[in-house]
Amino acid sequence: MASDNGPSSPDDSFSSPIGNTLSSPDNAAARAAGGRRRQRQQQQRGGASTPSSFAATPPAHRSRLAAASSEANTPTPSRTRRRTPGGGGAGGRPFAASTPSSTDDAPPSSECGDGYDAAEQMYVWGTNISVQDVNAAIVRFLRNFMEGPTQADSIEEGKYMRELDRVFEVEREWIDIDAQDIFSYDQDLYNKMVRYPLEVLAIFEIVLMDMASTRNPLFEKHIQARIFNLRTSTCMRNLNPSDIEKMVSLKGMIIRCSSVIPEIREAVFKCLICGYYSDPVRVERGRISEPKRCMKEECATKNSMTLVHNRCSFADKQIVRLQETPDEIPDGGTPHTVSLLMHDKLVDAGKPGDRVEITGIYRAMSVRVAPTQRTVKSLFKTYIDCLHIKKTNNSRMQADDPMEVENSYNGSEDVTFDEQMVEKLKDLSKKPDIYDRLTKSLAPNIWELEDVKKGLLCQLFGGNALKLASGATFRGDINILLVGDPGTSKSQLLQYIHKLSPRGIYTSGRGSSAVGLTAYVTKDPETGETVLESGALVLSDKGICCIDEFDKMSESARSMLHEVMEQQTVSIAKAGIIASLNARTSVLACANPSGSRYNPRLSVIDNIHLPPTLLSRFDLIYLILDKPDEQMDRRLAKHIVALHFEDIESVQQDVLDLSTLTAYVSYARKHIQPQLSDEAAEELTRGYVEMRRRGNFPGSSKKVITATPRQIESLIRLSEALARIRFSEWVEKRDVMEAFRLLEVAMQQSATDHSTGTIDMDLITTGVSASERMRRDNLAAATRNVIMEKMQIGGPSMRLMELLDELKKQSSLGEVHLSDLRNAVAILTTEGFVAILGDTVKRV
Amino acid sequence: MVGLPYDCLANPLGAVRFTFEKAVAAGADPAALNGKDWGAGDLFRDVLFDQGALSQVPVLNAKNIGHVQPNTLVRFRGMIQDMLGNEFYAGVYKDGSSWRTNKYRDVSQFPMGSSPDMHIWERHLLYCIQVPGLNPWADTSSGTVVARPVEQTSPHGEKRRRADKEDIDQMDVETSEDGIQRSSGVKKLREDGHPSQNLQLLESVAGSTGFGSCTMPRDEGDSLSCLIKVYDSSDSELKLNDVFEFIGVLTFDSEYQVDNDEFLDGFSEDMLASLPLNKVPRLHCLVHRKLAAHDFLQSTPLELKPHLVKEVRQTLLSHLTAVLGNDGLAAHLVLLHLLSRVHARIDNFAVGKLSFNLTCFNKESVSIFGNQLTLAIKDLLPFSHIVPLTVDYLNAASLAPKKDYERNRLVSGLMQLPEGTHLTIDETQLEAGTLNSVGVENARLLKYLSEYQKVEYDFKYYKMEMAADFQLLVLSEGKSTILPADLVIPFRPSSVASGEAVAAETLEAWRWYLATVRSLSHSIDSDMQKVVENDLVAARQANRNLSSQDLSRLLTMGRMMSLSFGETSLSLEHWQMVKELERLRWERLA
Repeated sequence: MASDNGPSSPDDSFSSPIGNTLSSPDNAAARAAGGRRRQRQQQQRGGASTPSSFAATPPAHRSRLAAASSEANTPTPSRTRRRTPGGGGAGGRPFAASTPSSTDDAPPSSECGDGYDAAEQMYVWGTNISVQDVNAAIVRFLRNFMEGPTQADSIEEGKYMRELDRVFEVEREWIDIDAQDIFSYDQDLYNKMVRYPLEVLAIFEIVLMDMASTRNPLFEKHIQARIFNLRTSTCMRNLNPSDIEKMVSLKGMIIRCSSVIPEIREAVFKCLICGYYSDPVRVERGRISEPKRCMKEECATKNSMTLVHNRCSFADKQIVRLQETPDEIPDGGTPHTVSLLMHDKLVDAGKPGDRVEITGIYRAMSVRVAPTQRTVKSLFKTYIDCLHIKKTNNSRMQADDPMEVENSYNGSEDVTFDEQMVEKLKDLSKKPDIYDRLTKSLAPNIWELEDVKKGLLCQLFGGNALKLASGATFRGDINILLVGDPGTSKSQLLQYIHKLSPRGIYTSGRGSSAVGLTAYVTKDPETGETVLESGALVLSDKGICCIDEFDKMSESARSMLHEVMEQQTVSIAKAGIIASLNARTSVLACANPSGSRYNPRLSVIDNIHLPPTLLSRFDLIYLILDKPDEQMDRRLAKHIVALHFEDIESVQQDVLDLSTLTAYVSYARKHIQPQLSDEAAEELTRGYVEMRRRGNFPGSSKKVITATPRQIESLIRLSEALARIRFSEWVEKRDVMEAFRLLEVAMQQSATDHSTGTIDMDLITTGVSASERMRRDNLAAATRNVIMEKMQIGGPSMRLMELLDELKKQSSLGEVHLSDLRNAVAILTTEGFVAILGDTVKRV
Repeated sequence: MVGLPYDCLANPLGAVRFTFEKAVAAGADPAALNGKDWGAGDLFRDVLFDQGALSQVPVLNAKNIGHVQPNTLVRFRGMIQDMLGNEFYAGVYKDGSSWRTNKYRDVSQFPMGSSPDMHIWERHLLYCIQVPGLNPWADTSSGTVVARPVEQTSPHGEKRRRADKEDIDQMDVETSEDGIQRSSGVKKLREDGHPSQNLQLLESVAGSTGFGSCTMPRDEGDSLSCLIKVYDSSDSELKLNDVFEFIGVLTFDSEYQVDNDEFLDGFSEDMLASLPLNKVPRLHCLVHRKLAAHDFLQSTPLELKPHLVKEVRQTLLSHLTAVLGNDGLAAHLVLLHLLSRVHARIDNFAVGKLSFNLTCFNKESVSIFGNQLTLAIKDLLPFSHIVPLTVDYLNAASLAPKKDYERNRLVSGLMQLPEGTHLTIDETQLEAGTLNSVGVENARLLKYLSEYQKVEYDFKYYKMEMAADFQLLVLSEGKSTILPADLVIPFRPSSVASGEAVAAETLEAWRWYLATVRSLSHSIDSDMQKVVENDLVAARQANRNLSSQDLSRLLTMGRMMSLSFGETSLSLEHWQMVKELERLRWERLA
């Protein structure tokens, strides 16, 4: 039992169990008092309790807190002065003097008369905090606290009274109390609670027991007050001696849980000789003293008592180690850890890997060098007696993701942003140059590529997803494809976005399989059941999935993306599992041109060998080309020189740091849901019509599609994202105009037909531009003419090369390649005009 | 040390007590002294540095640990391998009417059971290991300073030690209880006698390597780790992987028995359980200082004069040329490489790194030139490390440090090295094979290190990036794919190098040169900036394949070049030299 004296007795070695109300250090008397009480408690627990007995004291064996203190050495409720090592400043600050015997409020029980039933005011030792005052304050708080604006004449019961009723209903042993509520109701009480948690909580529990008995006399369980949501959360690193015995709130990650330790609370001994069962013996100072002799007078055999396990009472205990979250670790440090002590219901409330916010009491206890040695090491072990645990994030953790904080906000818990931060963000959003500023802050070390960064910014903010009553959904996520020459920092951009985005997943196309991206069914090694494992796209639900080397992805993997990118779900039907998983993810992909360098004479599709069906699902396709441009080179040179020689601080003054940027993005994503204004809608229609019209050249018969309905969806998403950047609830005309500009920049790069210099959406949707199609038609026609001229039906066949030579003579066609000719002949074959036999053509 | 009523070196705790009592007598509130120095630190700094007593303080190492008296002043040079958080202890308490302090000691000196006026203070725990990759010449602990403890192993020394002990006992008024225990401890020591004590020490060292093998997967037989307790210093001052010299009070007990009872459920006990007092000494740090490369030099530093620098540079360059079989270009680049360090980080980009890949090595040439080069580097830089990269090695090695949550300790990996370590990676032994998941992870780690100068520490639930600054030299047959280096050059030796002996002073001068010049600051004036910019633009116009990394490298080389001449701003002449080097390099690559 060496361990359990541990946690609960910070001072077992030198604190005296003497109540300070008693002047004589009469240990035995105190113990005796404890013994009496013990009996009483037993009665109570045995169900024989009279309605009045509850009032005397919180049954220590149930109340963890009280138990903790009693274990420490004072089983008497008016325990008290403990010379704590604590109180780094105030001369051995006391901590305990609350006598939980509530003499003021409830009818005093008869037992309270054992000598020190103080009728006069009682104070928390060493302070002027009156026990009665605190008691009254708690009663007031519990009775009267209302959520929302209080109405004086409200007949409604307080929040916690209703809460208490619920406790009765489900027979719970605790009640959760929001510390913010206490603060808003009674600041003084809050401060006392945080400073002297042991005392105040003990009083809290007495009050709760009182109330329980008046409201529901049949309720016998002990009710524990579990405080959570303190106003200030301490950083684990900053815990210091002055926090000892204070209530603290910490955020962290559970890294280890011990197995559940049954901690003995009361032991029953049986005499081996006469079979007499002793009264339960309570734990004192972490130890149970075995009776030396049988207590039955007739027997009184020495050393005959043995422990009866199944009649002892045990409580669950667990030691959990909490580690700092990565964002709190300063540069060049390792994470700190702290031990938590969990009791009863809190046991197994968290498992390793969970991020939690805990509220508890920081405690310290002295360490002996060794039990055999008398010297006390001057050391203290610290731990936190945990009162409440709250999981901040249920989802899987991401490695070193600065946005993890935001992840927790995405979680179901309604965590609000810190008010100051919100103010700061709102101030930022009002700046006229916020758009440019954010653009600049995005990957500041990657030089130029302004428009690409703007597109990525829109992707980060995202549009609004829409679900119609009919069930049709429109995605709000913006998909972006970056195509470019090697060495144009595409991958860096991807890495950066991956770090920034909520739930960013980074995969490389080469290393990803279709199932790795979506979901796969596997056998659980332990249970042998088939389980569904999520792939990258599912894991990045509500985030951004970054796929590098998109072009090197296998065909089957790529085809999985079709569904994800438009329907935003992943459907699988395998091994008896048929499921459709949400994958509301934005895809950011980057690809290298197939011939290592981008060939401007070929279309995007020819360059990157991606199927047009997939390509059209990207809202923005950027070509990052390395064009020989002296101006650009000069800027690059300047940038690099500055990187090496100038003071870095001065270079990037008005750039937001990463944490502000992430906070800004998360806030906007969560709180801003912009709507299209009428003006903006009008502009959208007008712009779209104009875009379509651009395809109809006057006097030209060819029909070029410059915009498709997919574009208008993209435009809406982009303009919503742009409005979000400004924290604006309305999409304005300028947002739409900027969206058009962004789209056009992207299209100009990717969908420009290089032979005509105009935008042609066919390039993306089918991979063949209108001009190219016309050229093919012309060639087919010319071939037909040549064949008509040179060949007769059923006549001798002609070699393709000869045909090519013939065609080349016709100047109007420009340069003709053999492959073009093959295409043309193939068209003619389908018309039934000619037949191809190997390399020869025969007219039929 | 005239006029001091105690010996700072033999009885530092006496000095601490003296200053404490003085401070209390002067009216300081003992409770308010938390986190403050009441003059003890100043006193020791004065004695050690101003009065030059530092050289008399023994440097702790695995060999002398058994001979150094506990509770005396010792030095320990090591790298912070792990931070074990804070420890709370009874800072001050009242013994009768007088205040006592427990600062700088583990066990309270007086019974304090009933003292109500006790205040808890905190101190930081750092787990330090001897600097990994420390080259023999930089290891002061094996030098002259150990004379004192060595002397003590003679029977005469034993007597002296006893005398010392008595001195301490006299000076330190102990309570009877404590005193008895102490003297019984001394008795035990005496009974043991020397030879067995030595044996025991060896055993304990052997034991500690067994233990060490789980923290440090390196094959260092006689390494010593030390638990440093630091007082009154902020977290920001001491960082992971920094190399520090700690001077403080030693607590070490080779007789110490671990009490198994205490650690029954191992988990609730803290990590100290895995650092038993008989293997890992504690050091209560009074003074600490960060060590830079020139702190490892044995001789007094020279003055930085231009002609001197030029001279040293010239001799070093010719030495390197000789080592590299007359390949002057490679020697030049190696020199620049040896001077590189990360001097700024802009987002992910580490400015100033210059990793170097010498290609065209085969098995024979590596055994000649590779070895010579690594030996030469070993003689020049304080910390260096060689990684023979093979498939088996990649599959087995644990490169990245990893957190062991069972023991709540950071398990060191091979890549946990102090800043400025030179890392030679020999890829010539690499043959075709299959990498397992560990191997793939290791390869990725190396690549990441080379690109960003960062090492990812594995914290199981997440990865934490730690900035690193290693000089990476890769020896390979072709251009290394695992480690994309900044500078790649085929190695063209024209003669077999002669293993000429180098005079100790020359070596010392080179070390001084590298250490000093490397840390110089650097700038560029606006005219030169224009020239550089124009040159970069022209270079890019001429060759579209030049990426921003290539341009960046040119600037880094320019910086190193002017630093190698001891100058702090880039001159046209040096810029031209860099361009010439680069031209020659391209020629050779083509």
